[in-house]
Amino acid sequence: MRSKKKFKDFCIFGLPGIFFFAAVVIVPFVYGIYLTFTNWNGVSASKDFTGLSNFAGVFSDSAFWQSLLLTFKYVILVVILVNVIAFLLAYLLTRGIRGQNFFRAGFFTPNLIGGIVLGYIWQFVFSRVFVSIGDFTGFGLFKVSWLSDPNKAFLALVLVSVWQLTGYMILIYVAGFTGMNEDVLEAADIDGATGFQKLKNIIIPMMMPSITICLFLTLSRAFMVYDVNLSLTAGAPYGTTEMAAMHVYEKAFTSRLYGVGQAEALILFIIVACVSGLQVYLTKRKEVEA
Amino acid sequence: MSNYRCVKKGLPLLLSLAVTAGLFSGCGLRFGFASDPDVPGNEEGKAVIDTSKDDFIYDDSLRGTKITMLNSKAEIQVALEEMGRVFGELSGVSLEVIPCGDDTPYTKVINMYNSGTPPTLAILDLTDIEALSSEKALELTNEEWVKECSEYVMDFDSKVYSFPLCIEGRGIIYNKKAIEDTLGETFDPDSLHSLDDFRALLERLTAAGMETPVSLSMENWSLAGHQLQYLYETYDGTSDGAAQVTSMLSDGSISLSDYDRFDQLLDLFDTLKEYNVARLDPLGADYDEMAIDLADGKTAFWFNGNWAWPNLKEAGADAEDEYGFLPYFMGSDENDYTNTKIQASPSKQVMIDKQYATEDQQAAAREFLNWIVYSNVGQQMLVDSCDIIPACRNNPNEPADPLSRDIYNKIHEGLTFNAAAIVPSDHWKVLGDAMQMYLAGRSSREELASSILQYWAEQKN
Repeated sequence: MRSKKKFKDFCIFGLPGIFFFAAVVIVPFVYGIYLTFTNWNGVSASKDFTGLSNFAGVFSDSAFWQSLLLTFKYVILVVILVNVIAFLLAYLLTRGIRGQNFFRAGFFTPNLIGGIVLGYIWQFVFSRVFVSIGDFTGFGLFKVSWLSDPNKAFLALVLVSVWQLTGYMILIYVAGFTGMNEDVLEAADIDGATGFQKLKNIIIPMMMPSITICLFLTLSRAFMVYDVNLSLTAGAPYGTTEMAAMHVYEKAFTSRLYGVGQAEALILFIIVACVSGLQVYLTKRKEVEA
Repeated sequence: MSNYRCVKKGLPLLLSLAVTAGLFSGCGLRFGFASDPDVPGNEEGKAVIDTSKDDFIYDDSLRGTKITMLNSKAEIQVALEEMGRVFGELSGVSLEVIPCGDDTPYTKVINMYNSGTPPTLAILDLTDIEALSSEKALELTNEEWVKECSEYVMDFDSKVYSFPLCIEGRGIIYNKKAIEDTLGETFDPDSLHSLDDFRALLERLTAAGMETPVSLSMENWSLAGHQLQYLYETYDGTSDGAAQVTSMLSDGSISLSDYDRFDQLLDLFDTLKEYNVARLDPLGADYDEMAIDLADGKTAFWFNGNWAWPNLKEAGADAEDEYGFLPYFMGSDENDYTNTKIQASPSKQVMIDKQYATEDQQAAAREFLNWIVYSNVGQQMLVDSCDIIPACRNNPNEPADPLSRDIYNKIHEGLTFNAAAIVPSDHWKVLGDAMQMYLAGRSSREELASSILQYWAEQKN
């Protein structure tokens, strides 16, 4: 009788969710893997099985590996900068400073703007506003558009992403700081612990759940960056800022090599899943309870 | 106290909403960094169409049929919708025009096919038609209009699958007034017959005070999609010749060092670079500013096509102003056709779906194409409302804007060559990057040649 009720509850509450999850995630994912073994051109009625030839195409596509390397550089910079800045700002914004709610909202605002819009706004800033400032002041750094130099364009991408993501991470860190047991810190003060000792031995270990979430979110978002990449640089100048996700799209839809593009997407997924999984495993182990 | 708390809590939210709203509303402004010419531009200045004389015979059995058309030429979206409305009123066929939006035409059309709702008619590029022709497109070889635009009809395996919607031409756009004001004398564009003549004119303009007479766009589609394409299209000035040279590049039977057109093309490109208004930061060049500079007379030349008119118009150019095209000068031989003719060929093509469309829908779509070609109203709307240069010679209407008018006149004077290279879909992107490097001075001629050869060698596989 009880198991019958359980089954009924599962059908009411679990089954619809599973059905939709399978329909929009599992089935397309499995179908996507199947497509990596075919020569489908995206529209044809026929699909021929081509074995591992698409994966061979991935290994001979040097531009993909270059974009992946660039993505790794981008991820490292973005993950470190976002988390360090967000952590510090969240710490400051939970110390009871005047107007801290306003600042929290202010820092979060960029996250409300979609990546495409954000990219266009900053494209205008980098290629028009900064150049005008450079012309007016003679300041060499802004004389030419940042987006026409490979290194500066990459830096621009990192800056905009950090600006966008930091606000969201601040919220999570603020929640972590707010829930932290102040008694432990007070006890440490009484015992004469220095600021650095408190940070290293108390604050960071107690903030590990927030750090786990923030690192996971920034890692996955940075690896899969596409919208800001598209609207801010579109890979320019001459393809030097084309990240892996954008390369996959270009391979599939511009070069019309759907099989190779799909295989590259699968490889990118495996890399992101491994890195994120490893990160969650490692940081979870460091979590403690007060 | 509780009110104060409420305000204290709500204020940041309101502020962030206000800031966000401000940012979003800012996005509605024209920042002027549109990097392609597909900007809707004909909401204003609606053409007056005379619908009183219409002797086109409509098929009454098709009344009530609903068809759709995918439009990849964004600047004529409004005009096409109006055209669809008028066609609907006269024929009883409902025609809905679907814009491509942010997708590429090909991505959009295959998405529509994959979702089982393809458009009955689709305005696409040549490469897309080639990709879809055998499996999805209705064969149109025996349509009556084929004879009206025979020189512009594209066939694959001797079968016609698309209607050439428009002729588009490109070359070096000049602003006659800017040149005359600077030099203080009358400018005759026909007096230039070679790159040497063009260089001499640029030097005179510079000496007379116009510091940088050239606007040079940095977009991939302009550099590789339009400038580099001359490498293939000027092989012998025909589409077959272009196909021949791309085939030879693929199989390695031609070397760029032995192919004169390569150096000739880059000689002109180097000249344009040298006098470029954005030469200090060529990759920072802004497309809309190029149009403004030309319209304002800050520059006298801009390599582009007749599709640039909406941008020039927006920049302040008037339909009565004297703009026109110079050839893309190749070398110093005055008898070389490239120094007297400009490239003009059918770009956008219309195909009809044969996979999902019912027989009635296919018939209604064919009626629409016939209506464009043969009805007085359709002919007028194609030219006057859409600002299109028609591919069919039976259309008596002349385009109104100076760029299209110049190409139209040149077509009728025999001063154009019809060569359209069908290149892989990523040609503009991959070789556009290589051309950008060359434009920025970060690669040599040899490196550019090597990139081009490598690209074509990869196409062999």
